[in-house]
Amino acid sequence: MGRGYIVEDVVEKYLSNLSVPGASCVTGLLIGQSSSQRDFVVLAVRTPQKDTEGQGSPSVSRGAGNSLERLDVEWVTEHARQVSRMLPGGMSVIGVFLVTPPELSKEAQNTLRRLIFAVDKHISKGRLWSLTEEDVTEKVTLHICSKTRKVVCRTYDVRDPKSSAKPADWKYQSGVCTSWPLLTCSVGLNLVFPVLEMHVLPQDMEKCMKEGLQTWAKQIEDGLCLINGDAMPGEVELLGGQVKRSKFQSRSIHFYVVYITSGHLSPQAEPQSERRLTASVKVCSGSLTLKGMVQCRAYLHSNKPRAKHATEVIKRDVINTVSSRVEMFLEDLLMEGEDKGTVFVLYFSLGVR
Amino acid sequence: MVVGNIILRLRGSLEFKCQLDSTDVPHVQKVISRTFEALGSQVKAESLVLSLSSSPVFLWPNKGGHATAGEISPNRPCKDLQQLIQTDDQESSRKKSAKKDKNNPTAGIINLTLMTEVTEPGVLSAPTLLRGSKKHHLLQTTLPMDCVVSVLSSESISVVCGTLVGALCSQLGDMEKVALRHMKGTALLIPQPFHFLLPAPVGLVTVVYPAGVPDSQLETQRKELHSLFELPDDRPYLRRANALHFPDEPYKDGYLRNPHVHLNHPALENGKPYLVQGVYSYHHYMQDRVDDNGWGCAYRSLQTICSWFQQQGYVERAVPSHKEIQQALVEVGDKQGSFLGSRQWIGSIEVAAVLDQLLGVTSKIMFVSQGNAECFRELANHFLSEGTPIMIGGGVLAHTILGVAWSETTGQIRYLILDPHYTGAEDLQVITDKGWCGWKGPEFWDQNAYYNLCLPQRPKTI
Repeated sequence: MGRGYIVEDVVEKYLSNLSVPGASCVTGLLIGQSSSQRDFVVLAVRTPQKDTEGQGSPSVSRGAGNSLERLDVEWVTEHARQVSRMLPGGMSVIGVFLVTPPELSKEAQNTLRRLIFAVDKHISKGRLWSLTEEDVTEKVTLHICSKTRKVVCRTYDVRDPKSSAKPADWKYQSGVCTSWPLLTCSVGLNLVFPVLEMHVLPQDMEKCMKEGLQTWAKQIEDGLCLINGDAMPGEVELLGGQVKRSKFQSRSIHFYVVYITSGHLSPQAEPQSERRLTASVKVCSGSLTLKGMVQCRAYLHSNKPRAKHATEVIKRDVINTVSSRVEMFLEDLLMEGEDKGTVFVLYFSLGVR
Repeated sequence: MVVGNIILRLRGSLEFKCQLDSTDVPHVQKVISRTFEALGSQVKAESLVLSLSSSPVFLWPNKGGHATAGEISPNRPCKDLQQLIQTDDQESSRKKSAKKDKNNPTAGIINLTLMTEVTEPGVLSAPTLLRGSKKHHLLQTTLPMDCVVSVLSSESISVVCGTLVGALCSQLGDMEKVALRHMKGTALLIPQPFHFLLPAPVGLVTVVYPAGVPDSQLETQRKELHSLFELPDDRPYLRRANALHFPDEPYKDGYLRNPHVHLNHPALENGKPYLVQGVYSYHHYMQDRVDDNGWGCAYRSLQTICSWFQQQGYVERAVPSHKEIQQALVEVGDKQGSFLGSRQWIGSIEVAAVLDQLLGVTSKIMFVSQGNAECFRELANHFLSEGTPIMIGGGVLAHTILGVAWSETTGQIRYLILDPHYTGAEDLQVITDKGWCGWKGPEFWDQNAYYNLCLPQRPKTI
């Protein structure tokens, strides 16, 4: 039995309005949320065209010939990564779509398969939280024929490089996500990452920060979320007891999340043999301090979500938000180059999602 | 223990992190003190959260004791917290365990965990990254906070929260003192708290010792504390081994402790018992994968005695194995080399020799032809003054005597015997039901045999 995708009406409109001149192909991303029972697609966005400064247009092919072969997979995956960064919690790139002229329909499946694996791999790079057994690893590929507008929907399990295409349902509906509950919380940060003596190059600093962030991410993963101030057991239905709302109501239910950590890794993580008698001493040439506050938001589907899904989705957003902020800082740092002897340098992040 | 009081235990970790720009002592001390001061502020901050173990309740002690569960308001007495704790074994089928709780004053303890809230309401401040380029030493560790407070069960939750925060602050102060006292260069020994149940009126105290420094090197600290608490200066109360054993922490070595406390008193009219003091482990045949069935009884009795000296804090060495016992006897010249690896029996003289050689403990040897009033008086006095288990060897058997009892009205005498000939598993029910640990009458003594008793003496030390 294949998966069933419930898709927002606006996506249908978007896809049908895509301008696909002549024999060209268009790629794009499908954004939504997957749960064990059902999958939801709420947004579609095409891959933007590359600047035509002698680099050629990868997603729009001018002449005859197989434009699928000239598809710039790297460009598509990079776009996917940037879009991913901007999405609120609970939303992710769960698939790709491809519009081709009828003659390329046959090869389209192969291309889609290549794309979805590449996109998933690129997005998961540098992810600081780990997938659990309950996570859905099936991603959707959508092929649209530019002439007939016929839609072919297949899924692939991106965890299995040998997986074959499985058929899936693609159904349009209105108001899919209007009543999705929203979880918010703001997390304070005060993290100090030591830069060891031998690590003076910006690339080394990146390594120091990534290691430090990994430890912090583990604390967040092990932390506790109180939803509206309550420690709900994982299996409790989040929306239980709420009056059944019509799908057409515009107000979504808002949950405030209180985040508590024990400030250290769980005892099981520390093996007995490594119990220290003295404080660890590191000789450092400097340090990186991450301070401030991040606002985190996550949406959860409204199909009987449980407290544990809510906890998971907001936790991942906290980790992702901080992780992408730090990535942006590091990109700046790399551009800055080697430390020229300035004592303190301050980096601001102007973007607020 | 004070009746009507509840004990709350708060444990958790606080991250200790500081930057040392130079390694000269005054600078290091200043930075360490400042870091402890900052931790003190952290503990008094509103972001401090206490999690009530095995329950969905979280408390904010610095917000007046505000709690998550609706039915717990800060004005409620703290004993209400106990009702919210979900225990694993609701049905206790063993009637013996009820007795255990009566004897252990810390049963019914409320455990809490130290946590921090990382959500911050209010003004949004975009994250910034500060890059510092000063060379320094980074000192980092986690402090193992462990506070115990005893409060009236009727005391309100908000007041109890204040008491707990106060305990945390004072423990940080103790830790700072210990850290600075034992610091060498940039090596900071981790301060570790230990809880002791001292005789009335002192009660429960917590002492912080530096990790890695053996008890033998901490005598000065203990002397100060002995005089502070007015403790006798000839027996240990504050060695690490004397630390209070909490009922919810099982012993990891698998040996049974003090099986005799689960027995009914001997059926004697006006019987007054004189018992072993403190804690020992029950050692018997077939343990530790050593098949000593038929020859090892005195060895096992000796092991029980060694376990007593270890757990009362007199020695730090582990209970010796049969091999180590035999080795010790060869070393003192009591036995030839061929003794090693053999299954030869040993008697009370050998037991005394090993106690002296391995533990530095001297013993009195008593010769007895059968149990009688004379013998009884000596034994009763021994349990009053020394309180150590006695090894008894005679005929073909060796046993351990843990106590005696005498009826003033009938003149009957009873002996509390721990039998090392038991070959089964560490099953308390079987051991007490079948009398492997039990009160015996005069029939215990063989009329035709002669007995040698080894009465170990407590060394005079703290």
